[in-house]
Amino acid sequence: MSLTELAFFALAIVAIATGLLALLVRELVHTILWIGIFFVDLAAIYFLLEAPFLGVLQLGVYAGAVTILLLFGIMVTRKRIFSRDAATGVGALPIALAVVTFIFLIGALGQLPGSAVPAASYSVASLSTLLFNTEAPYLLLLGLVMLAALAGAIYLVREGRE
Amino acid sequence: MTTLPVGDFLALASGLVAISIFGILTRRNFILLLIALEIGMNAAILSFVYFAAFPQCVTAATCHPLTGQAIAVVVIGLAATEVAVGLAIVLALHRIRGTTNVAEADSLKL
Repeated sequence: MSLTELAFFALAIVAIATGLLALLVRELVHTILWIGIFFVDLAAIYFLLEAPFLGVLQLGVYAGAVTILLLFGIMVTRKRIFSRDAATGVGALPIALAVVTFIFLIGALGQLPGSAVPAASYSVASLSTLLFNTEAPYLLLLGLVMLAALAGAIYLVREGRE
Repeated sequence: MTTLPVGDFLALASGLVAISIFGILTRRNFILLLIALEIGMNAAILSFVYFAAFPQCVTAATCHPLTGQAIAVVVIGLAATEVAVGLAIVLALHRIRGTTNVAEADSLKL
């Protein structure tokens, strides 16, 4: 087993473990800590796949913005920040559904050929050329969606609304 | 550069999707629901980034080798937008109902 594969397995185990812990711990602030580690871990996987721009984007948008936004949401909606979440029983049905989904997805993999070699001639310039030429409509659409979301968010949280 | 087998990556993505479904079905806190959704979204982004490096695509004339990464950039933007709107809903729900429990948000009129 090569060093890259070993690193991937370690990162994958950390991703699964932190993802589960984030949803299972009772303290909401601890959830934010685990999910932050989860996002940083996925950024490391992107760096492993030779996609440094995506890695930096993951660190900036997810590990930075989304984590802080979620923490802010917890801060605003709680009287005491370290108050525990109400106990929710882990029923058999959610676990069964999750396991069935996992088995179904793994079974759907079948015999897939080959394995990926990270692109050798990768540069951020070529990615930006692609993004602003061929994929420009999608980028434009993303901007419009963000504008609509901004307007919607302001409408939802503004004062004096019954 | 050594290769990374496709099965391992898809197994990781499947595991993350399963965790996401488990979280969405189990937890009742709106913010935890958003976090579970983000885990599922990250599984999709991981798959896109992985298949951007897939050799079948690099050699084909019809597809650009970086299309997967371009899609991943767009999906990351969409996910961030989703969290912003979700938190606006959390704040509105908290102000009007005084709770972030999704089981108590049972009226369409807020």
